[in-house]
Parts: sequence; structure tokens; C-alpha cells
Amino acid sequence: MSTAILEARDLCAGYGKKQIVNGVSLSLNTGEVLLILGHNGAGKTTFVRALFGLMTPMAGQVLYEGKEITGRKPAANVADGIAFVPQGHGIFRSLSVHDNLELGGFVEPDKSVLPQRLEQINGLFPILKERASQTAGTLSGGQQQMLAIGMALMHEPRVLILDEPSIGLAPNLVERVMSSITEINQRFGTSILIIEQNVPLSLPIAHRAAVIKTGEVVYEGAPEPLQDHVKLMQLF
Amino acid sequence: MDLALQLLVNGVITGSHYALLGVGFGIIFATTRIVHFAYGPIFTVAAYMAWYSAAMLGLPIPVALLIAILAAVLLGVGSYVLLYEPFEKRQAPHLVPLIASLGLYIVLENLVGIIFGSGVRVVREFTNGIHFMGPVFFTTIHIWQVVVLVVLGGALAVFLRWTSYGKAVLAMTDNPEMARIIGIDTRKVAILVFAIGSAISAPSAVLILLKDGATTHMGFLAVFMAFVAVIVGGIGSIKGAVIGGFALGMVESLGMLRIPTEWQSSIAFMLLFLVVLLRPQGLFGAAMRR
Repeated sequence: MSTAILEARDLCAGYGKKQIVNGVSLSLNTGEVLLILGHNGAGKTTFVRALFGLMTPMAGQVLYEGKEITGRKPAANVADGIAFVPQGHGIFRSLSVHDNLELGGFVEPDKSVLPQRLEQINGLFPILKERASQTAGTLSGGQQQMLAIGMALMHEPRVLILDEPSIGLAPNLVERVMSSITEINQRFGTSILIIEQNVPLSLPIAHRAAVIKTGEVVYEGAPEPLQDHVKLMQLF
Repeated sequence: MDLALQLLVNGVITGSHYALLGVGFGIIFATTRIVHFAYGPIFTVAAYMAWYSAAMLGLPIPVALLIAILAAVLLGVGSYVLLYEPFEKRQAPHLVPLIASLGLYIVLENLVGIIFGSGVRVVREFTNGIHFMGPVFFTTIHIWQVVVLVVLGGALAVFLRWTSYGKAVLAMTDNPEMARIIGIDTRKVAILVFAIGSAISAPSAVLILLKDGATTHMGFLAVFMAFVAVIVGGIGSIKGAVIGGFALGMVESLGMLRIPTEWQSSIAFMLLFLVVLLRPQGLFGAAMRR
């Protein structure tokens, strides 16, 4: 039986008095890729922001490796092995590609391991090595997304949360990003929670899938049934 | 020709002073997005603490400078922790810390007046030397104003480029939320930049004390020129603040060739209006995101 590495129990979250996530219970198992689908405004981003500590949940619990971390600050979560790649290329646009990657390892207490990690990431995304001294904001959209994922990997997280990594990318780049997510999962054993709207390209890489609608989980299970267009439309 | 050369030298000296103030104010503004107008009276407090230490207690000027730096750092960090941070935690709009800063400005300036009196305070023990180089002259304090910018500006550049916390400051300046996401303790960085920015203002304040004496209103010109240097140079750019400060000093000084001296204090306003009209993001600034 697989064990949950990151778990939300009846999580409620929102902005001000407006509740957007209404009691979501989901768990990411060790070593798996969990895909969360849902239309715009379904509450997916709010859910992962509350999970990662970027906003304080209104109710419910977040557990990491069986230990409660509800409302814990992102700095503590990152130091504990959780990484988050926000929607829309989470990079520092005015800094160089190299500086961005180095900052990705900010929480690493032993900085001597960073050059080796940098090599691993350059192996995964060779373009980042070629563009090391380039200002990150001048990279193409796909390269920025690779950089954002590379930064998240710099502190060797056990859990990687990705919020719509395909947004704004050309279809061939989406395929490239999706295949790199599979590679990260297989090569580093990283458990990955990925939010997506691009159903056809993200479903094949998922071990399990969930659908969120108006802040509630309406489907959780194998990804295959969601390939049925009619079923998916009913859930959306 | 001699006059132009003298005004050019004056421009470099005044520009160095404005640039340093701009860097101190700018690093706080760029990193935390707080318009810290209380930077002005903190500059005043630093000058008065140095005056009290040197003139009243008879301490050597380097010791007085250290006391001034300590006072500025304590007030700068205190203003963040006790005033601005509680508003940040409540997610107050940006206008609220700005108004709070103006309130703190008034309180601090009046406290200085109540404690030290309103007259001009000078350090009589210090004699300012005059140096001639061909047709131009400058004083020992003028040399120090340039040296302090080079040393502190250089030290800050090394800190930002080569240290882990320096890069954290640059990261937070670029994208505060992303800084939190990669695990930077943004509170620590905010406290750090308030300490650095305030510390930088103290040597400038002490040099003005030794040059012109301290008055309770001296902080207004300091924060105003720092603000103009930051806007001209570009919000979010520390290099911009240095160049903005120099541009301001140069325009103010060289403007005297054509503009009557009674208009000198208006030049900063004219430069500010021109930049805001023609290049609102400043010379080196990018459009602000957030």
C-alpha cells in the first residue's frame, strides 16, 4: 500500500471572507504523479497555495510525511523538502539564469552540493547551461518554465507542486515540459502534484488524477476514465 | 571656463551625497515597496546623536559616527518592526504604510526639536580643511562625501553580488512572492535592508553636520533628494539610484551656469517632473510588477 507524503484533510481556503476551496481532501502518495484538473476558477490554485503555506487555510489540515504543517510558512516547507512552481513562470526576471538557479538552492545549508545539482539540472535542461549568463526575463516562455522547474529542483525536494506549467506554451513545448516532469519523477523519485487544464497532454504522465469543481473534489482515481471526453465534460 | 569646472566638481560632490542617500532610501523602497519618508528624520537623529557624542560628550568623531550609525539602524529597524510590519501582516493597501511613514516623520522631527532644541548644532572641535587644485577648490568634507559613496557603494555592490543574503535582497526586489516560494525569509530580508539603508544614511548625516551643522529640518532635504534620485534612476534599481543621485547633483550644480541661484532648489523638481513625464519608469527602472 502506498503512503501519503502530502495530504490535505477537509481543507478550506479563500480570500477575505470569500471561501473558494470547500473541504478538499486529497493525498499525494510517495513517488507518484498526481494530476489535478478543473476549469478556470475551480479553486485549484487556491488549494495548492494553501497547501504550500502561501495562504493560511480557513479550516482543515495539511500533513507532510504524517506530520501536521497547516499554515506553516513557505520557508519552513521549502527547507523540509517541498517545492512549488507557481503559475506563469516563477523566476526572477532581472537576474541571470545562473543566479536564478543558485537562488533555487537558497535554503540548502551545505552550499558545496549546489554545483553538482546545477550539473544535474543542466543535464535535464541543457538550454539552461547555454543561457547561464543571460537575463532570465529575456528567455522564451518554454525556457522560463524550464528554469522555474530547475530552480525548484535545486534543493532536491521530495515533493514538487506545479501550478499549470503548460500555460502560455506552444504545444511542442508543453510536450517537452511534460516529458521532463516524468523524467524528474523517475530519475529523482520526486513525488509530483501537478495542476493542469491541458487534459490531453497531462493525463498520460499521471499515475492518479483528481478533478476539482467549485472548490470540491468531484473525481479522484485512475486517470484513464478521464480520457473519455463525455465523462470529462460531465465532471467539468 | 573656471566657473564651469568648479560647478562640475561641485556637481560630483553633491551628486555623491545624493547618490548615497538615494542608495539607502532606494534599497529599502526597492526591496520592501515601502516609501519610507521617515528616512529623513532618521537622518536628522543620526546627525544629532553624532553632535551630542562629539560636541557634548567630547568623544572622537569616529566614535560619534558609530553611535550615529547605531541610532539610525535601531530607528530604521524599529520603524519596520513596530510600524510597517503590522500593516503588512494585515495586508493593508500600500497607501497606509506611506501615511504611517509621514506620521512617523512628524513625530521624530518634533521629538528631535523637543530633546535637542531648534537651533543649529555644530561641532566646533572640527575644522574643515580647504584644498586647491588649479582653478577649483574643495574641502576635506567634500573629499569624504565622494570617498564614502565609493567605499559604501562598493561594499554594497559586493554584498549584493557575492553573498547569499545579498542575492536574497535582489530576489526580493525582483519578485517578493517568488522570494517566499524559494524559501527566503522575507521578514529577515526586510529587517536587513532597513538596517543597511539606515546605516548608509548616518555617514552622510555626520558629514552634513560637520559641513553645515545640524538642524531639526535637515532630514527633509535628505529624504526629498533621495526620493528624487530613486524616481529619476528608476524604482527597483540600486544602480539607478546612484546614477539618479549623480544626475541630480550635476543638473543642480551645472544649472547655475544659466539659471539664477535663487532657482537652484527648484531644479530637482524640474528634473523630477521631466523624468516622470518622459520616462515614468526612470532611467534604469522596469515597469513594476505586483
